[in-house]
Amino acid sequence: MKKKIKRIFSHSEIYLFFIIIIFSIILTSINPSFLTLENLFDLIKSSAGMGILAVGFFIVLLSGGIDVSFTAIAIAGQYISANVLMATGVDNIYLAFLISCSVGILLGAINGLLISVFKLPTLIVTLGTLSAFHGALLAFVGTKAINTAELPDCFKVFGHNNIFVLTRADGTSYGLSVYALILLGVVIMSWLILKYTMLGRGIHAIGGNRDSAVRAGFNIVGIQFFIYCYVGFLAGIMGVMHISLLRYSNPMYIVGTELGVIAAVVLGGARITGGTGSIIGTLLGVVMISILEKNLVLMGLSSYWHQLFVGLIIIISVSITSYQNKRRGIRSLTFR
Amino acid sequence: MLGKYSKTIVLFTIMVGIIIIMSIFIPDKFLTVINFQSMASQIPEFGLLALAMMIAMMTGGIDLSVVSITNLTGVIAAVILTKLVSPQMGEGLITLIIILAILVAIISSLVCGLLSGVLIAYVGVPPILATLGTMGLFLGIAIVITEGHGITGFPDKFLFIGSGTIWIIPVPFIIFIVCALIVALVLNKTSLGLSIQMLGSNPVASWFAGISNNSILVKTYMISGLLAGISSVIMISRVNSMRPGYGYAYLLTAILVIVLGGVNPSGGFGTITGVVVGVIILQLLQSGFNILAFSPFFKKFIWGFMLLLVMVINFIIAKYQQRSRKLKIHP
Amino acid sequence: MAKELLEVKNISKAYTGVQALDNVSISIKRGEIHCLVGENGSGKSTLTKIIAGVVKADEGEIIINGRFYQNLHAIDSIREGIQVIYQDLSLFPNLSVAENISLNQMIERKSKLISWKDVTNTARTELKNIREKLDLGEKVEDISMASRQIVAICRALTQGAKLIIMDEPTSALTKTEIDSLFSVILDLKRKGISTLFISHKISEVLEISEKVTILRDGRKVGEYSIDELDNDKLIFLMTGKKIAYPRFKYKEKEHHEKMLLEVRDLSKRGNFENVNFKLRSGEILGITGLLGSGRTELALSLFGLNKADSGEIYIDGKQVKINSTQDAVKLRISYLPEDRLSQGLFIEQSISNNIIITILRKILNRLRLISNIKRENSINKWSKELEIKTPSLEAAAQSLSGGNQQRVVLARWLATNPKVFILDCPTIGIDIASKSNIYSIIRDLANAGMGIILISDEIPEALQNCNRILVMSKGRIVKKIDDASSITEDELFNIVGKKELNKVG
Repeated sequence: MKKKIKRIFSHSEIYLFFIIIIFSIILTSINPSFLTLENLFDLIKSSAGMGILAVGFFIVLLSGGIDVSFTAIAIAGQYISANVLMATGVDNIYLAFLISCSVGILLGAINGLLISVFKLPTLIVTLGTLSAFHGALLAFVGTKAINTAELPDCFKVFGHNNIFVLTRADGTSYGLSVYALILLGVVIMSWLILKYTMLGRGIHAIGGNRDSAVRAGFNIVGIQFFIYCYVGFLAGIMGVMHISLLRYSNPMYIVGTELGVIAAVVLGGARITGGTGSIIGTLLGVVMISILEKNLVLMGLSSYWHQLFVGLIIIISVSITSYQNKRRGIRSLTFR
Repeated sequence: MLGKYSKTIVLFTIMVGIIIIMSIFIPDKFLTVINFQSMASQIPEFGLLALAMMIAMMTGGIDLSVVSITNLTGVIAAVILTKLVSPQMGEGLITLIIILAILVAIISSLVCGLLSGVLIAYVGVPPILATLGTMGLFLGIAIVITEGHGITGFPDKFLFIGSGTIWIIPVPFIIFIVCALIVALVLNKTSLGLSIQMLGSNPVASWFAGISNNSILVKTYMISGLLAGISSVIMISRVNSMRPGYGYAYLLTAILVIVLGGVNPSGGFGTITGVVVGVIILQLLQSGFNILAFSPFFKKFIWGFMLLLVMVINFIIAKYQQRSRKLKIHP
Repeated sequence: MAKELLEVKNISKAYTGVQALDNVSISIKRGEIHCLVGENGSGKSTLTKIIAGVVKADEGEIIINGRFYQNLHAIDSIREGIQVIYQDLSLFPNLSVAENISLNQMIERKSKLISWKDVTNTARTELKNIREKLDLGEKVEDISMASRQIVAICRALTQGAKLIIMDEPTSALTKTEIDSLFSVILDLKRKGISTLFISHKISEVLEISEKVTILRDGRKVGEYSIDELDNDKLIFLMTGKKIAYPRFKYKEKEHHEKMLLEVRDLSKRGNFENVNFKLRSGEILGITGLLGSGRTELALSLFGLNKADSGEIYIDGKQVKINSTQDAVKLRISYLPEDRLSQGLFIEQSISNNIIITILRKILNRLRLISNIKRENSINKWSKELEIKTPSLEAAAQSLSGGNQQRVVLARWLATNPKVFILDCPTIGIDIASKSNIYSIIRDLANAGMGIILISDEIPEALQNCNRILVMSKGRIVKKIDDASSITEDELFNIVGKKELNKVG
């Protein structure tokens, strides 16, 4: 039992959890409406999309790679599906998801091809595809924003859907959005893959020691291909959630928010070298970043401080983990 | 067997080829003094960023924060130029303030590079993450200072840097060429430069050969920051304004250009000449696209696509070379 | 069923310019503990790779379980039950013990899903089979080297291994851990599983093996059963006739011997303890001992890469602090690294760059720029002095042979005109001719006044080239031999090797 407790505390995620608790207490003392159910429901709804993107980014990081093109894939999926729905007149949210996810998988497959078959460095490749995908979307599909009036109803309805509803004192209601369900579904599915399939273990293995993974007989090419397609798939889901949330689609959106997602994943304990991290940690990171984003004003800082904070968080959290790593390396005289 | 210059020669040929093609198909708009001047004035901002990125890559790292450094130092300089200058001031005082602004910009760019360098060398943060973080931090500071707004209205004398010409050559171009020459000199003929190349080739052997890896890395990112700082001065002078968020398209194209120019992303190899030719090729294409009225989005697509294409081609060439090397040993 | 599990006949393999294996044969019976013995560079690892199907032989045949293979692929070798545990163990540091053990089997079964119950059971079964205990849930990166060894063996067993090849498994183990490993190997034997134990450590070979195949310079010297061998005979067979080379004689030039280097009570927790020794100008001091004895750690602390916790270092009588390689170089201390390829050379850079990297300050002109003339002069001087054979000095260092590569690294340090030169196993993987060439270079340097510390794994090498020898074990100096000519090879072997055995025995 003692060992189990010790093991729980050796994970960095537990510290993040405590930091979040402390932070929430501080925020609640400044503004008591923070710790209300309504606020929490709202937090979940608005950060679910980021959470899904973060899960995808985390899986890539776990395998020792990096993918910055997920934002372009998300907006591409969103914009294309909205336009198709508008053009064909079909008003079906399931079709929207289908189109968006298909676009996502296709674009992810391009990443997968370049990385697993041509063995190109992941950061530079995905920087290239980020630009290529977004540029292609704007150049070939269009740049016109879709406002609320033009948007097919299915999106608007979907955004409003709640799992259950509660009533306030004055008779108005609020609820826990279905977004929570979708996020939960993505989290569970990803967790199952990572923990209970050979594919998932292969992802861990590649991130832990690529050469050993090759020697052990893992299908490196196949696994990597899957990873990038999966990220695309998740980005496709997020794209539809995003458009339903805003009730508006502008193809210039989403791209540019990569840093926040990366900050969340890195904060959650995943290492850039691969092999380490957890979905829980990633989710905690998302929670932390979301709380920060929404409550900067409460802390007396205007929203202009957001970018600075994100950058600072990344620097501090990677510094801590990297420095620990470095000390360990020095002690064992391995010169990296 | 021409070694590291064979790639440059290929690039040079491509560059000449593009010039010829453009001269044939769009001569009336392409072969004008105005066009060449315009190209020559846009190359420097971007070219300096490419050089900045290249130096970092030579050590096997990357500097994603270069554009944020230009943003931050540009904002700082812009603030000095607008807040400290009032119309009643005499010529001499204005010139002094301009020099102060440039100096402060340069110094802050060095400080930015120092931060990245320290994180990478002494704390042991991988370059991708360190510069990702500093990228956000520097941009963030710039946004906080300006509260998201732009700053405009710089003294006329300052605008000479960006828009003036000496004879018919634009001032920025001269600055760029001078910087490129100096960087080439440093890289090829100083002990720092050689140490950078060797460190990029094999950081472990570098420790064992008595090279101070940490100090070399810090210096590398400081040089990177410095070049970004110089670029920002040119940039704000050319457009007579500064708004945070400007120039992020350059990040990708800078990487494209240096990969095109023959720099090896894993470190140790690359030539300034290759990068400069790459920059020129990109500018030629950029101008050509402008003349053909391509949308900026289409260009965005093309740059991304070209980066991928160049890397795939490099991969195929490397595979081919490996195969022919094997054949030589086992005929 | 064939009596022999593995029969390797007349295998030859050549790489550019070097005959790695020349007409080598080896055979292993079921349940046999067989040692493949030889010094570094004798061809052991090439033979292993050929048996594993990772490298193809130029000539010869391989028969496994009575089946003849002309073209052995890795997958055939594995299917026949041959498992190789490489020195790096090929484990996943971020995964648990149980998972590391069971993963290969899961992959082989082509299962899509993982049953964690199966994983734990498989791991537990294998551990029980060899009567070992490990915490199944711990991450491999958190466990000791010896435990990792056990994990690697269990993994091999899950694949139905009939022959486990262990490549230098004891390099990072303590004596107690080595004993545990040996009892595991005996357990394997009881189950009919053969072990091919690759080593160059005499004492271990004598303790565990039943049959020994000895390689020297790519050729098989012989195959013996263990009762035919003893310490002396084994040494003799491994090293062959002594090279007709006079032993190095220390020329005491002046009466006031310059104490170039003195080390007092140098200690670093976990690495070495209370190290005391002196080095005079003109001496070649040997440091030998089993791997793990702290030699390299000690050397690195003199070079600025592994600062000691306590103790003092004196150069020319003055106390100094060596906190970085720059300090060491300033004090004119040079170090030739053990791992030539990854620590010594910039393999893709030119030979000339590899040479001048240490003397950049010396080839600058007045403008602090690298002077082409000075650069050329330096490169030509040192490549000629060290007889570096190459069509062009601008060619990449990877184009050179092992011996020439070592000479490049030597040149780089000699160019700094060191007072103290520490060489860490300088002749590993180098052909005989280059070896004797390097020996004569070292002696000339000593005679010219340099103080040299020669860290060596090879007793004969130490005895022939050093006038004094320190024997280290587990971080301490256990024996100081003040006159190398006063001791025989066998005596030294005993001191280095058997001392360990005596402790347990």
